[in-house]
Amino acid sequence: MTTGVLMYCFDTPELNYHRLAERCVEQIRKYLKLEITIVTNLETFKKFKPLGMINYKLVENSTTNTRPYRGKSVAWYNKERALAYEHSPYDTTILMDCDYFVFSSTLLELANTEFDMMLHDRVHDLTGKNMILGRDESTLPLVWATVTLFKKTANTCAIFDMIKHIQEYYSHYRNLYRIKYINYRNDYAFAIALHQLNLGNRIPTPMTMLADSVDVIDSDGDGIVFKYNNDVNFTTGQDVHVMDKEWCNG
Amino acid sequence: MDIGNIKKHSDLNFEVAQAKKNALEKLRSRQLMAYNERLFMADANTINLVSTLKQHSKDFYVLDVNDNPCHVKDPNDFLNKLIERNQETLNSYQQLHQDLAKKRK
Repeated sequence: MTTGVLMYCFDTPELNYHRLAERCVEQIRKYLKLEITIVTNLETFKKFKPLGMINYKLVENSTTNTRPYRGKSVAWYNKERALAYEHSPYDTTILMDCDYFVFSSTLLELANTEFDMMLHDRVHDLTGKNMILGRDESTLPLVWATVTLFKKTANTCAIFDMIKHIQEYYSHYRNLYRIKYINYRNDYAFAIALHQLNLGNRIPTPMTMLADSVDVIDSDGDGIVFKYNNDVNFTTGQDVHVMDKEWCNG
Repeated sequence: MDIGNIKKHSDLNFEVAQAKKNALEKLRSRQLMAYNERLFMADANTINLVSTLKQHSKDFYVLDVNDNPCHVKDPNDFLNKLIERNQETLNSYQQLHQDLAKKRK
């Protein structure tokens, strides 16, 4: 039985996701010590610094989506994630956004249990300002696709088939579940698929997050220092989803 | 105390309360423990349950965090692992708690 990490990383005209992925790889190597596969496009692949043993899978990604980021609308290449079941070479996959930084071995504990698919359904905002969750954004029980653990089973295959179907008919499902946002979001696609199929386990503890209005001002292998308004704080020994996409630019 | 000092005091208390909340989330996350392919929280409830059942039977079943049954064939081993993880997380929380108490003085 093989276990590994799968990441999707596509630079956009506005943001250097490859820098985040490079940092993410360092953290995975330190705390999880697992094999890593990065799905990317040729343009982004050329920008990666040498990272040692990494499996790269080059694809031509869809470029039709956008997202709001710090008051602007920016390109968002997120649709390939629906193909993770086919792209993953592992029996147990930790599918992870490249802006999720591992500072503990908690994901290994989760990977060593029995499940089809497991993801977060709650978040914890480290600033205490509760900036992550809006109100009445949909009628769905929301999940976060940022970190998705899955095994190659018939149930998981059905979930990913459903996600592809939802992506194709997203406007229908968006209306059905009264989703506020027009753009395609994997969080919603995964949540709809799990709801429709009545499958999936939840990670029992919330995902620790920093909203995009929070700046990361320093970091080392053990944690990060962040700033919101004039408050500076830090976190160590705790995995964290950082929505500031520019902090690795130097 | 003037309003400026009250504001400072309030800010400090908010900061300390948030640091405590963050540390508790970290503690709970670190208490997640895989055993026999099931997922458990190494918290007081699980430790008490396993400790009690161990006194009545050499092996038994317990429910994990996802309500899946787990056959515990070696209760001593399971209990030791739970206690070890529990104390590891509480030790680091205790250190932070002490730091916060100093900050408040």
